[in-house]
Amino acid sequence: MNMPLLAPSEQELLRQVETLLAQERYQEHPLRDALARLFEYSEGQRERLERLIKISDGYHSISRSHSQTLAEQYDRQLRRLEKLARISDRYQNSLRELSEALKDAALRDPLTGLGNRRFLMERIKEETERANRKQAAYSLGILDVDHFKAINDQFGHETGDKVLCEIGLAIQDALREYDLCGRWGGEEFLIMLPETPVEFARQVAERVCQGIKEVRVALHQEGCTPPISASLGLTQYRFGESFSEALNRADTALLQAKAAGRDRLEVA
Amino acid sequence: MNDLNIPGSQSTPQINSDGSQGLLTMQGDSYPENSFEFFGPVIAWIETYLRDSQAPLRLELRLVYMNTSSVKAMMDIFDLLEEAHGRGRQVSVDWFYDPRNERVLDLADEFREDCTFPFLIAPDSPFK
Repeated sequence: MNMPLLAPSEQELLRQVETLLAQERYQEHPLRDALARLFEYSEGQRERLERLIKISDGYHSISRSHSQTLAEQYDRQLRRLEKLARISDRYQNSLRELSEALKDAALRDPLTGLGNRRFLMERIKEETERANRKQAAYSLGILDVDHFKAINDQFGHETGDKVLCEIGLAIQDALREYDLCGRWGGEEFLIMLPETPVEFARQVAERVCQGIKEVRVALHQEGCTPPISASLGLTQYRFGESFSEALNRADTALLQAKAAGRDRLEVA
Repeated sequence: MNDLNIPGSQSTPQINSDGSQGLLTMQGDSYPENSFEFFGPVIAWIETYLRDSQAPLRLELRLVYMNTSSVKAMMDIFDLLEEAHGRGRQVSVDWFYDPRNERVLDLADEFREDCTFPFLIAPDSPFK
């Protein structure tokens, strides 16, 4: 008899009953038949109970392992998701940096590192609005390097490029911290002096021209180029006008400076 | 087994497979409108190859930009390889990147993190 789930005292009782039932001398005892049936009934119940426990334990263990699998799956998916987000974020970051680099490239002149015409236009627009709002006019200058084509032709584009870079540096050096300059086109540069009346702007612009003339010295020492100078047209923004009117006026002044023999500054 | 010959486009990578060589190559950017649809045949090809053949499988990747759902598709593909590797199959990934774009190295490295099969990340030769 297999009775793993019974306590020792219960097992002993069952064995005792079994032994009694097996004894010859009780075969005719009036209670023997009833006891035998009771014993059989009890054994049946016990087996049923054991089967029930087994099944119930089985279900329990299935559901336990199921929930373990679910927890593992959940953890795995979570890790995957985190990894996905991490990689995706990296891609997004590099795209953002790329778009910043492109934006920078779109607004910067690659040769001189100064702002390009697009950059200058944006800033002039902003400054025009600000000038009208604050009733503080800016001054605007366009400068053109004199005889630049001759420098290019005579010494080659490499020297020409070098001259432009040096001029860019010279202009920046001559300007005040809050002034702005950029490459307007070919050998033209633009300077903008916020909240500066033209009388003061003239002094700064003269410093710019002087700075450009000193570029010649630096390059000349390397035995490269002839004297370098620039013509500059300067104007003050007039309230209410469009910025292109101010630009046109500066351009006209520049033409006058050139017509008058170059290497000079004209105010319009 | 039908090989894949998917020409590249601006938003999808070029994908070629060669079952006889056990080679699958992908190169370019990947931001298809429907990544599930786009990568479906690729995943199917890998599954079929791993099921029908016992030969090694090598992935040669030159992927640059990927959108999130493409990243997920690649993770699914690497999971397939990892599973096959666990069953003793010989699988490997060679991920080449443009040495001028070192960011791809870091990204490929993230992908490699949970993979136990051979996963090479190397700068592409400029003479290729």
